[in-house]
Amino acid sequence: MKALNGVSISFAEGEVHGIVGENGAGKSTLMKILSGVQQATSGQMLLNGQPVTIHGVKDALKRGIAMIHQELNLIDELTVAENVFLGRESTKSGMLDRAKMVQATEVYLEQVHAGFPATTKVADLSIAGKQLVEIAKAVASNASILIMDEPTAVLSDPEADSLFALIAKLKQQGTTVLYISHRLVEVCQICDRITVLRDGVWIETMDAKGATPASLANLMVGRSLQDFYPPKAPKPTGEPIFELIDVAGAGLAVRAGEVVGLAGLVGAGRTELAEAVIGTRPIGNGQVKINGEAIKIRSPKQAMKYGIAYVSEDRKGLGLHVSLSSVQNITMANLRDYGVFAINGKKEQDKAQTWKSDMDIRAGDLNAAVSSLSGGNQQKISISKWLEIQPKVLILDEPTRGVDVGAKREMYTIIQKLASEGMACIVISSELPEIIGLCHRALVMREGRIVGELEEEQLSEEAIMHLAAGVEAH
Amino acid sequence: MKKTNFLSEYGALVALVVLFVYNAMRHHGTFLQVENLRNLVSQNASVGVIALGMTLVIIAGGIDLSVGSLTALCGAVCILVVNKFGAGMSPTMAILLASVSAIVIGALAGLINGAIVAYGRVAAFVVTLGGLAGFRSIALVLGNGGEIRSQVPALGDFGFGGVAIPFAKDASGGPVLFYWSAVAFIVIALLMSFLLNKTRFGRYIIAVGANQRAAEYSAINTQTVRLAVFTLLGALVGVASVMVGARMNSVGTGSVGLYYELDAIAAVVIGGTSLRGGKGRIWGTVVGVLLLTLISNMITAENIDTNWQGLVRGVVILVAVLIQRGKKENE
Repeated sequence: MKALNGVSISFAEGEVHGIVGENGAGKSTLMKILSGVQQATSGQMLLNGQPVTIHGVKDALKRGIAMIHQELNLIDELTVAENVFLGRESTKSGMLDRAKMVQATEVYLEQVHAGFPATTKVADLSIAGKQLVEIAKAVASNASILIMDEPTAVLSDPEADSLFALIAKLKQQGTTVLYISHRLVEVCQICDRITVLRDGVWIETMDAKGATPASLANLMVGRSLQDFYPPKAPKPTGEPIFELIDVAGAGLAVRAGEVVGLAGLVGAGRTELAEAVIGTRPIGNGQVKINGEAIKIRSPKQAMKYGIAYVSEDRKGLGLHVSLSSVQNITMANLRDYGVFAINGKKEQDKAQTWKSDMDIRAGDLNAAVSSLSGGNQQKISISKWLEIQPKVLILDEPTRGVDVGAKREMYTIIQKLASEGMACIVISSELPEIIGLCHRALVMREGRIVGELEEEQLSEEAIMHLAAGVEAH
Repeated sequence: MKKTNFLSEYGALVALVVLFVYNAMRHHGTFLQVENLRNLVSQNASVGVIALGMTLVIIAGGIDLSVGSLTALCGAVCILVVNKFGAGMSPTMAILLASVSAIVIGALAGLINGAIVAYGRVAAFVVTLGGLAGFRSIALVLGNGGEIRSQVPALGDFGFGGVAIPFAKDASGGPVLFYWSAVAFIVIALLMSFLLNKTRFGRYIIAVGANQRAAEYSAINTQTVRLAVFTLLGALVGVASVMVGARMNSVGTGSVGLYYELDAIAAVVIGGTSLRGGKGRIWGTVVGVLLLTLISNMITAENIDTNWQGLVRGVVILVAVLIQRGKKENE
């Protein structure tokens, strides 16, 4: 299998070049070759007209190519400044010159509008914060070619806006930015030219002026994507089956068959709320009710017993065992069903095959490590794993993060199908169109508190943003 | 797309086969004799049994440095119990009781290690370092700082008892026995392999070692899993201590089990189990044990100064780890 096949692209100096394509289209492979993480098996790279071979990340950096990874590559135990200067520390007479590094880092942090000092330990930052540090680190390397792989995936809109401003500034300084993203709107907005890849093949490089998200999406999937959001499941009535009382300063109730959105900026406390529900975080004075009955949950195991499943936003860290196989991941939470002591191997394999066809999981070998799959397929496995326990309440945390357009749409269809079958769904999402296109109702969180609730007819990007950013007084 | 490097996957096995063939050709008269092959398996069976349990602990993301000292403690208990009851009941019953006592004490010690690791959230390395010092100390107290001799000769007979190997005759025409210790090593290896690869517990061990938080989020009780692997290892240390005690019909509380933890960990690592956890194999550990035994036998057979043995072992361990690291980069 080849991830990339006969792709030739040229990048101009001082250009912002968007690269789009579905997961598995070969974007990440292309970037890995450019940044020296991986070697091309054939073909050549010309830098300023000269053929070059890049041996590893250090070599790439020396030639002025820096990459901001989709997977964060920071050292948790070090401070922001130490991470930014990792490997090229400033010294004064042989000793580390901390003050100088902190000072320089503050400047970079300001450019990305990070609201934390350079002396913060990276472990204490949110994922968005870490992403900002990654960006600062790449900018600090003074690269002439900067590769950004899904930089806004974990950023809230204001944070993304300050990143775009930074990109515009870098461009003026003559830096070439290669910008990979699934967010087609922003690609059209900030790029000069856009290259579309599909299945490892170059499809088209076009001027961004004529491009629209719809035209890009069509090129990427090779078919027309008309209604991006499938019809919503019928709006249920009746008593809620799942309730939170006095949690995050308010309450939340979900009926069977209802899709309730949990909107807000990154860091607004939505994931923390979900974790309090499944018992990996203290819930305070709050109460959880299932079918009107108050219950106590102290661990994901107890949550599972009450039929509550949480599909984590952090697929690699919490949602899946990426070193284990698809089969092993799918049955992980429900293994007891395959035998109290010995595992019924055949039953396990058969069930995994069923999920593979039900969820349209595109994996060659279900017994190969999950790490080899694309984000969309990993997410399908993560959801299958939780549907395995036949939950009544499904909490989906950023279900389409790092997932390509085609798989996104599939994910929406799956959610509506589950709802129409009577599942109570809570969808945490930072993408406003997703909340609007998917949910019957949405709650908005800000600074750890639920600050408002919007009915279906009230749902609009403005209304959500006002609540999320606290523009209107409440 | 994915290259599996044969040598990094089966390197230890290849080394074992190569050395085996080399020895078979060089010492064709003696090496292939049934007694010699039997000795190869039984010689380090006690370390082997411990290494099997250690494999599970390491896959679960832990380590246990206390196993050597615990062998001495359990061995001491075994001999003390057999001496106390040897006169009052049939020797078989006394040996059974002593064995059970040793295994229970081992399991209890493992339980304590595991509880502190799982619930006290102390690093396994530190907890079992405490055990390394502590268990030896209790053993020395029990043995007044020296050897505890068994007064039940049947225990020593048990140490040299076993199943007759069919068609094999020793020099005087008697049957060649496949020692109980070797039988136990093989049976426990099969059991552990089943446990790791075919049971829910085994899957949880791998899941906890591969990513503890993801395991917790997958509704797995990670604390129970870690508690259980340490307890299981402790029980296996009890089994190993009975093998050692029976073989000598005594236990030197200061000397028995010395460096067992290092030998066991070495066998596990040579066998291809990752010290980072989440990945490992029982058959690899068996190969690791046999390889280490064969190498030390060769040093004796070739009349090399045995002081060199440590260096050779060290080199073998490092080479094994380097080959494994090469595998990771290829993935």
